[in-house]
Parts: sequence; C-alpha cells; structure tokens
Amino acid sequence: MTKSLRRRMRVFVVVVILTVLVLTARLAWLQIYQYDHYTAKAEGNRLRDLPILATRGEIKDRTGQILATNRPGYTVSLLGLDRQKAADVIRYLSEILAIEEEEIREKIAKQQFKSYAPIQIATDVSPEIVAQLEERRLDLPGVIYETQPVREYPRQSVAAHILGYVGVIRENQYQELKREGYRFTDIIGQSGLEATYEKYLRGQDGTLRVETNRFGNRVRELERINPVPGNTLHLTLDLQLQEIAENALAQVIAELKESGNDQVGKGAVVALDPSTGGILALVSYPAYNPNTFYQDYNEIRDNPDKPEINKAIQGTYPIGSTFKPVGAMAALEEGSITEKTHISCGGVKTFFGSDRRRCYGYTAHGALNVVGALQKSCNIFFYEMGYRLGGERLGQYAKDFGFGDLVGLTDIRGEVPGLINSPETRSDFMPGDVLSAAIGQGHAITPLQLANYGAMLANGGIHYRPHLVKEITDYTGQVIFVQEPEILKKLDYEQKHWEIIHRGLEAVTEPGGTGSSLRTLPVKVAGKTGSAEAGPNKISHSLFVGYAPSEAPEIALAVVVENGGLGGDAAVPTAKLIFEAYYGEDIPEGNEEM
Amino acid sequence: MFDRRLLRNLDWLLLLTMMAIFAISLIIITSTTVNFTGDPLYFTKRHAIRFGAGFIMLIIILNLDYTYLYRFAPYIYIANMILLVAVLFFGSDSGGAQRWIDLKFFELQPSEFAKLAIIISLARHLTDQEGNFDSFFSAVPFFLHVAIPMGLIFRQPDLGTSIVFIVILIGMLFMSGVKVKHLAAYLGLGLAAGIPLLWFNLKDYQKMRLIIFTDPYRDPLNDGYQIIQSLIAVGSGGLYGKGLFAEGTQNHLGFLLEQHTDFIFSAYAEETGFIGAVILLFLFLVLILRIIRVASQARDTFGTLVCIGIATMMAFHVLINVGMTIGIMPVTGLPLPFVSYGGSSLLMNMMAIGVVLNIGMRRQKYMF
Repeated sequence: MTKSLRRRMRVFVVVVILTVLVLTARLAWLQIYQYDHYTAKAEGNRLRDLPILATRGEIKDRTGQILATNRPGYTVSLLGLDRQKAADVIRYLSEILAIEEEEIREKIAKQQFKSYAPIQIATDVSPEIVAQLEERRLDLPGVIYETQPVREYPRQSVAAHILGYVGVIRENQYQELKREGYRFTDIIGQSGLEATYEKYLRGQDGTLRVETNRFGNRVRELERINPVPGNTLHLTLDLQLQEIAENALAQVIAELKESGNDQVGKGAVVALDPSTGGILALVSYPAYNPNTFYQDYNEIRDNPDKPEINKAIQGTYPIGSTFKPVGAMAALEEGSITEKTHISCGGVKTFFGSDRRRCYGYTAHGALNVVGALQKSCNIFFYEMGYRLGGERLGQYAKDFGFGDLVGLTDIRGEVPGLINSPETRSDFMPGDVLSAAIGQGHAITPLQLANYGAMLANGGIHYRPHLVKEITDYTGQVIFVQEPEILKKLDYEQKHWEIIHRGLEAVTEPGGTGSSLRTLPVKVAGKTGSAEAGPNKISHSLFVGYAPSEAPEIALAVVVENGGLGGDAAVPTAKLIFEAYYGEDIPEGNEEM
Repeated sequence: MFDRRLLRNLDWLLLLTMMAIFAISLIIITSTTVNFTGDPLYFTKRHAIRFGAGFIMLIIILNLDYTYLYRFAPYIYIANMILLVAVLFFGSDSGGAQRWIDLKFFELQPSEFAKLAIIISLARHLTDQEGNFDSFFSAVPFFLHVAIPMGLIFRQPDLGTSIVFIVILIGMLFMSGVKVKHLAAYLGLGLAAGIPLLWFNLKDYQKMRLIIFTDPYRDPLNDGYQIIQSLIAVGSGGLYGKGLFAEGTQNHLGFLLEQHTDFIFSAYAEETGFIGAVILLFLFLVLILRIIRVASQARDTFGTLVCIGIATMMAFHVLINVGMTIGIMPVTGLPLPFVSYGGSSLLMNMMAIGVVLNIGMRRQKYMF
C-alpha cells in the first residue's frame, strides 16, 4: 500500500471516529441536558387525568330544610368500544336511548384520540332505561354506566329566584373560568345563589389518573384522588314563610283574574327580619322550575310575564302612597309640623296659585294630624307636606330610607337602584312636581327597597344589608363562614318621631284605616297601603308595606301586585293571607291557653 | 476444515464485537416485540434463527478464498441486476414500495444484498483500473457501474438505499487514489445536477420526510410524529434508561413506531439510557475500525477495497439510522446493522463480516 493511501486510510479512520463522536454528543444533549424536558413530554404522552365530579353543596333554609340537593343520575358512556361491534352497539343505543345514530357517531368522533375517557352518550338516564340496557348487556360491549350527581330542587319552583339554576358552562364563562380549572363540560351555577356562591358550592373534583397508549386507550389506572364535596349554604330564608307568601300571591292574582282583571299577572313579595336584614322570604311571580329550566326555556322566554326576571330586586314600580311615611318623617324632622299640627282636607286644594289637587274620590277628610293622615292616606295633607318641604329636602329623606340606590343585596345578582323623583335626579324637576313626589308618584322602587324601608320603619332607622346566606359549612359540618348582621346606615332621627309614624302605621290597620281588613289577624300589624298609577288605561299597581307584630317586629313585609288595583284590592289581601298563615299556626296553641 | 494458520489470522475481536452487537439486538428486539403477538419471543426466535442462518453463511464464506469473489464479481453483478429487476415486477407491496420478493420461507429484499454485490463488483472494477485516475473522466465508468443498480432501487422507491451506493462509491474511489480535487468536483457536479432532478422524482411522502426533518413540529400528528416520538423516547431515557422489557413507556405504549426495525435505536436508548447507547455506538466503532484494520492489512487492492466498501456502508448506516432517531438525519428507512429486525439486512451484514474475516485471514500469502 502506498504512502498516500495510508494517509487516506487515516483520514477514513478520523471520519468514522468523528461520526461516532457527533452521535454521542447529540445523545448527551438529548439524554442528559434535555432529560427533564423530554421526560415531561413522555409523561404527557401517557398520563391522562380524568375528572371525578364533586357533589355540589346543598342549600338549606333557616330550619335546615333542603332547598337544593343532588340525586344520582345515570350516565351512559362508551369505553373501549370494539370497532367491529361499533355499528351494532350504536344501533341498539340509538334505539333504546332515542338518540339519532348520527349524534352518537359524532360524539365518538369528537373524542377520537381520547378514548381513555368514557364517551358520554346520554346523561341523567332513567333507571328504567338503564335496566333495559342491562338486559341487553351481551349485545352492548363497551357500554358502561356511571352515576354522576344531578342537581335537584325538591321543592320544584319554590324559591326559584333565590336558588337560581345550574347549567353547562357557556363559552364566555369558560374562557373566564378555565384558569380556575373549569372544563368546558362543567355544570355551573347560572343564576341566583347557585351563581353567586358557585365557588363555595362547587366542591373540588377528584381525578383518576390513567395510563394510555398511542391510541388513547386506557392501559391501567394509576392513582385516584377523591373529590371533596361542596359546602352547604344555610339561608336566612324561612321555607314555611316563603311557601306561604308564594301561595298567597298566586291565590290573590288568580282571584283577581277570575274577577275580570285581565292585566294582573305579576308581583313580588319580600319579607325581611328587621333586626338583622336577613331575608325571610323573597317571591317573584310568576316563577319557573329550576329543575327543568333549560327544557322549559322557550316557554319561559315567550311568557309575557317574564318568569326569569326576579321582580323582587329587578322590577321597578312607582311607590304610590306607601311613600307617605317618608313625607311625614321629613316634615316632623324638619320642624314643618309637629304631632299636633292639623291640616284641613276639603277634598280639593290649590297649590302654587293654580295647581288644583284632590284626594282620592274627592273625599274630604276634614282636619287631620300626621297620624290621621297616614291612617286615611290623605293626599291633601301630604301635598301640603311636600309644599312645605320642597323637592330637595323630600328627596333627601327618600334617599335616607334607601330609595334610589342599591339596597345592598349581594347574595344574588341583579339588584337595580330605581330612582327618586327629586331635583337631584331630574333636571326638569319643577317646584310643583314636589306635590306628586310627596304622594309617591314618579319614584321608581323595587319590592326589596320597599321591604327594607318597612324594616327601617320597624327598627327605628337601621339599614341592614339584606342577605340570604346566614352561614356556610363544609362537608364535615364545620362552619367556614358566618354572616353577621351588617349595618349600612343608621338614621339619627328623633325617637318620638319614630313613635309618631309607628302610631300612624298602626292606625292604618285599625277601623277607619286603609288597611283595616288586617285588624282581624291574630297579630297586630303596622303598615301602609298604596296604589300607584301605572299609566293611561292601566290598572294601578297595588302595594303594601308593613311589619308585625307591631310592638316587637319580627317581619317587615313588602307586597307589590302589578296592575292589581288599589292597595286594598291585591296587596293587602296578600299580606293578610301571609300573616294569617304564618301567625295562624300559633292560634290553636293560643286558644288552648285561653 | 480450516487451515490452522488461517485460523490464527482470524480477527476474533471483530467476530466477538459482531456477536456482542447481536446480543444487544436480541434483548432489545424482545423488549420491543414482547406484546406484538401471543408469543412474547416470536420475533426474538425468528431473529435468532436468521442469525444462525447468517452464521452458517459466514462460515461458508470463510472457507472460500476471496479470490473467488474477484473471479465471480461480474456474475455477482449480473445476478444482482436480475434480482433488482425482478423485484420491480414480482415484488410484494408494502407501504407503497416494492422492495421484497416473497420466497415463502423468507422475504428477500434484493436491495440489501445489492449493497454487498456492488461493493464486490466495484472493488474488482477499481482494482482492474490499477490506480490510473489521472484523467478527470477516468471515474465515469464507475459512476455507470453504480448508477444502474442504484436507479433500479430508486424506482422501488428507496431513496435511503440509493444514497448508500453513492456514499460507498465515494469511499471506494477515495481509497483507490482518485484525486481529492476530482472527487470534490464530482460531488459538486453531482449535487448541482442531482438535487433538482431528485426533487422532481421523489414521491410526496419522501419529500415530506425531508422537509419534516428540519421541523418535525410542522406536522406533529402525521409526518413529524415519528421523529418527535423518537426524540421523546431517547431524551426521556436519560443517563441510565428506564429499564428493559416494561419500563420504556414510549416503546411499550406504542408511541414509537417501527420500534423493532428502523427506530429500534430509539427504544434501546429509552430503555438503556445514554450509557447503553454509548456502549452500542462504541461496539460499532470497534467493529468498523477493525474492518478498516483488515483493509489496511489486506494482501491485495481488491481485498482492501472490499473492506473499505463494507466499512463505509456500515458507518453510513449507523450514522443515518442513529442520526434519524435523534433528529439530526432525515427519516430514510435505513436499518441499523445487526440490530434492526429484518432478515435480508442481517444476512447481508453477516455475509459482509464473513468476507472481511476472510480477507483478514488470508492477509499473508501462503503456499498451499
């Protein structure tokens, strides 16, 4: 071999050695330097975490009665379906579950590379159908049944607007919540307490970690982390009172319809505990059934009475004569009158030179002091008060009582502020407009504001934050949150003025008062009736605000019946039914004692 | 059977290295195919039987003086051409390529044997030239020598194997004394003419493999999949590997494809880690360097050139196959010698080692 060839041979050897060195260097880079990176990728390849749904927390009333709970629902799924038998299985399933074959195929196709996870074909399947499927088990390889908690409201539509409903997460919600671990198939609270307390009710889903192969088939289960059930909400709500109020309102509206009122159909009732702000009852009529909200959706949407709207916090109404205690308190506090000041009512009176105003039906009440004026709901008296006070001062007192602004309910969403008819809010407010404002026209209020106002009249001017949730306990029963009564505002009015108004409101339910039909109740009620003009050719709205027992108030109640007529036509009968039923149960006991 | 003096000259280290590589192969083939069929050793057994057959071939080759190879080189070349033409007509289809002739008991892949056939016939052709390469055009006949079988293989189509021939040709021309500047010019001209020509003659999937090589994540579910999964397998193997037979998740859960054939090195590197991978590469280095050593000691130019051809072939296979699994070479489907499951490749490589041992054994001229 020549010298030149020997040199070439050495070149050859060097090339071979370099080749091996390059490969070794690359291997070192991949296997040592980038080991962690590729290990993570290898784990990502093979490990899949499947959710185990947590049971949603329950919702209970103040006495522990269940308002929202869960029942086991059967989910029919496919896991490890044999390709060759797929056609038959899909046909059987389609037949028994009454689902189009195409739909099943789509679901399978959607999960093509995720066959380690069960493909949900139908949720909340009845036990009868599951039994049918079980009988044909041999024809249905790869079909599995899982139980998943399904939300249930055992009282159906009772307290629907408070509880709300749950539904599949919407696209925009998912975008917002996915960082918190929500999946696009999750069921979440969509309304009411279910929505506001989603975070507490949800619980923590568990995971089942499975190992999968390239086809996404489950090879084995590796680890199971059990879910943590959601927390229980304990409400201030009194289920008994809630049911009574719902039934009373429904009954009164039905009776009005029967008697020829073709405009009535909507209404709201709110009952507060005047010493805490706790909501005892909150009714919006008509309601829906949260168990079937989505099935009934078209019907609900097309109903002209708008069942999905919570009228107790979202409906705004002119307040009418129930506003008169505001004017009375303002006049007393501002020194415009004293208890002894009498105003003479001749049925008609002219203000500002030419503005002729009248009492309802031109009734001449004669000389009345503030107590009598409240009892008779004398317009002339309160026109005079408005005239003496002026729009600005009157508006300030309305504001003090919580009108024109949010009352502060945060447990359920959607509260609206309403509007006070005053120069502050209306640039076109003329001096003469104070007359209408003084008898409650032109203001827009919510039933909740009305109830809060009732509570402030009952407790001497303390504005508590209205709330529904009293306490939250975790699944072991340990208390994790307590809502203490929260004072938002305390009015610094003279005690004797509160007493004067109180006497006026008590007089309303006494013989000669506008709410005298309430005198027969087993409990002494103080209150104020109202009829608010609803517009041309419209039957007026019927309102009532009050509290009972008047000497030591336990309940502040507001009733609004849209187009229900005069206060005494709808709101007062509703209040009467409520107080009757609620306090009536004590009667047998009381009778025995007597 | 053997002359004692011949046996004294047998390169035992070369033979043992080959055996060691095969031993590794048996283990990793078992680990990659354990779940393929009901019999966990089905592939292992077949691989071992083929090794046995290969060993018999090797011993037969050792017994014949390699001058027979010189003498029969033209017939070997012609027989090879016949097989390559035959596979185009009678070849069985697999994944769009016709590469195999079904002999019932054996799937013959003529392109594998073609490598050895071309090395032997080219070696004779070059020997007969007697180092006369002064003219630039003196190498043209050798291009034709290789181009014809290469063209047939390219038609199958099998780009990787076609390129093997070019590399073998370059190696053997280099060691025949062709001027380096001429070699560089051939290479330059070849690339300038070949690349455009090649591109228009490649099947779409072959083009995709070449594109994907530069960026596997371009199509991570299809064409890039194999590369990505291979990188994950190798990288996650780490220094010590995940362990054989059950621990390599990329291998056993099926994320790796062709894990017992083209991508067997990925499975091996996953389960035995950097240490295992380096041991195997070291064995290949020893094997190739021993072949080069035989080449340098051969008694004649023919022997030297045959050994150089075989060394080039094996080195290139290792580079391309291992390079492919670690993402520095395109996916071409060249097997890893002795390790990848596949009978033709194993037999051919063992026969090649037989030829090398033969040349090494007869490095001294004896009088019989």
